[in-house]
Amino acid sequence: MFVASIISEARMIEVSGLAKRYGEFEAVRGVSFTVGSGRVVGLLGPNGAGKTTIMKALTGYHRASAGTALLDGKDVALDPVGVKAVVGYLPEGVPLYLDMTVAEYLGFVADARGLSARSGRARRNAAIEKAVVACGLGGVYGVRMERLSKGYRQRVGLAQAILHDPAILILDEPTTGLDPNQILEIRALIRSLGSEKTVILSTHILQEVEALCSEVLILNEGTIVAQGSAAEIAAGMQGEERIECALTNAGPAALESLRSLAGVRSAERAGATASPARFMIIAGPGDGDSVAESVFDWAVGSGAKLVEMRRERMSMEDIFVRLTREDAGK
Amino acid sequence: MNGTFTIAKREVSAYFNSPVAYIFIVAFLLVCGTLFFFLGNFFAAGQATMRGYFSLMPFVLSVLAPALTMRLWAEERRQGTYELLLTMPFSEGQLVAGKYLATMAVIGVALAASLPVPLMASMFGRFDPGTVLAEYLGAAMAASAVVAIGQAISGTSKNQISAFMSTVLVLLALSLLSQLTVWMDLPAALAGLVNWLSLSYHFASFSRGVVDTRDVAYFAIITVACLYATTRLLAAGKWR
Repeated sequence: MFVASIISEARMIEVSGLAKRYGEFEAVRGVSFTVGSGRVVGLLGPNGAGKTTIMKALTGYHRASAGTALLDGKDVALDPVGVKAVVGYLPEGVPLYLDMTVAEYLGFVADARGLSARSGRARRNAAIEKAVVACGLGGVYGVRMERLSKGYRQRVGLAQAILHDPAILILDEPTTGLDPNQILEIRALIRSLGSEKTVILSTHILQEVEALCSEVLILNEGTIVAQGSAAEIAAGMQGEERIECALTNAGPAALESLRSLAGVRSAERAGATASPARFMIIAGPGDGDSVAESVFDWAVGSGAKLVEMRRERMSMEDIFVRLTREDAGK
Repeated sequence: MNGTFTIAKREVSAYFNSPVAYIFIVAFLLVCGTLFFFLGNFFAAGQATMRGYFSLMPFVLSVLAPALTMRLWAEERRQGTYELLLTMPFSEGQLVAGKYLATMAVIGVALAASLPVPLMASMFGRFDPGTVLAEYLGAAMAASAVVAIGQAISGTSKNQISAFMSTVLVLLALSLLSQLTVWMDLPAALAGLVNWLSLSYHFASFSRGVVDTRDVAYFAIITVACLYATTRLLAAGKWR
């Protein structure tokens, strides 16, 4: 069991040994992590990694098969209604009652959250107005939601999630399906919300994590495979270096020869052309220079002609793909 | 309690934001009116009674009420709002009770819209208001059981059409059950059980103007049991 600890002053989310089985399938396997207040944490992983399952367990929509989840000190298994009161949730796909107008829907959510009963009609309406302004919904307030664009529906989903001013926001893939401008708008909104709330969001877009999150949990096959800030993960992973080279007259055993060079972590054929034959070599941390020299020396020694060599640091996407694929292969 | 009314309000608006409630009310009045005036031969019968109007109520409700109940949970599942509802601070009991009350409100409107019929019939002769009251009470109680059964079946379905068909089948079976004792010579104990389970058997005394506590208890038990079963279905879904 991989234990991630993302700790700050007050622990808003504490997950311990969380597991969820759907029949024989283990969607989440003993995940543990803590999230401090005022943090924006990204759950990152490929489809089927367990991100949504963890969120459904945190919101009380699904009961965990094992483990505990405390949100703002409340156990979701023992006090699900109490947890729901402190959590704002945007499910994947933004389900809405399309037959209602934005005004009717937000009124329904405000009543569902007990805002009228708790704080009176005036404060209920003030809460709706605040959410409408924050999410930029003033222009579509009286419009039936079936007529709204995907971007506006996403905003309505966010507005319902923040309406009751929850301490914790759980957002499941909040920018999926949006165009680039809408993505920027929603990210700006999440960033501003993150300044005063604990936000946990899932995504499989790495740039989103870099743009929004102070911490990241990378999930694969139901377990946490990396954790920390995006910069920390990058520092840990970017020790590896990618060297792309093209050779003519390389011979059939070139790939095996390249793999056997000192400092080479892996080597693969890149592209289908026979000449020049292209290879992608991954060098270990700090081995980039020596591997490049070795490749050159090997080419000279073997009679191959080195017609191109390009070195590049791994992008965050590469790190993610590599991390999750490596883990899948274990 | 606030949660129940919030859900009920949302459901009533959903019924009336779509053609469903209007179609149900018109169909209910048309079917009952047709049965009463034409098949029941009201004008030729020479009796100021609503018996014809209510005699086939269990069958009318069995066919029409599932059109209201089929969407209750199946539609929430289809559009994903099921997850939204279950992650709001409602208890399962509030969700189920709210949807039940909303559906009963639509049926209540249909029953209220039928009131001109007894008022008009009363102009043709002496009318027993007690009998009419019992008939309306019986219709409301039968509707209550039918709505609770329909909601439970919708709670197991992801598809509205399958929820509708299943509910019609179950309700027609429950309504026709008492006919078994007419068609077949069943042992007394079995016949008693079959009759006890039958919707139309328990409605029969209401349609004669008799309010029997056993019939009231039957409809109340079916209603409470099915509503409770629906709350358990929702809770069980969390373990899936």
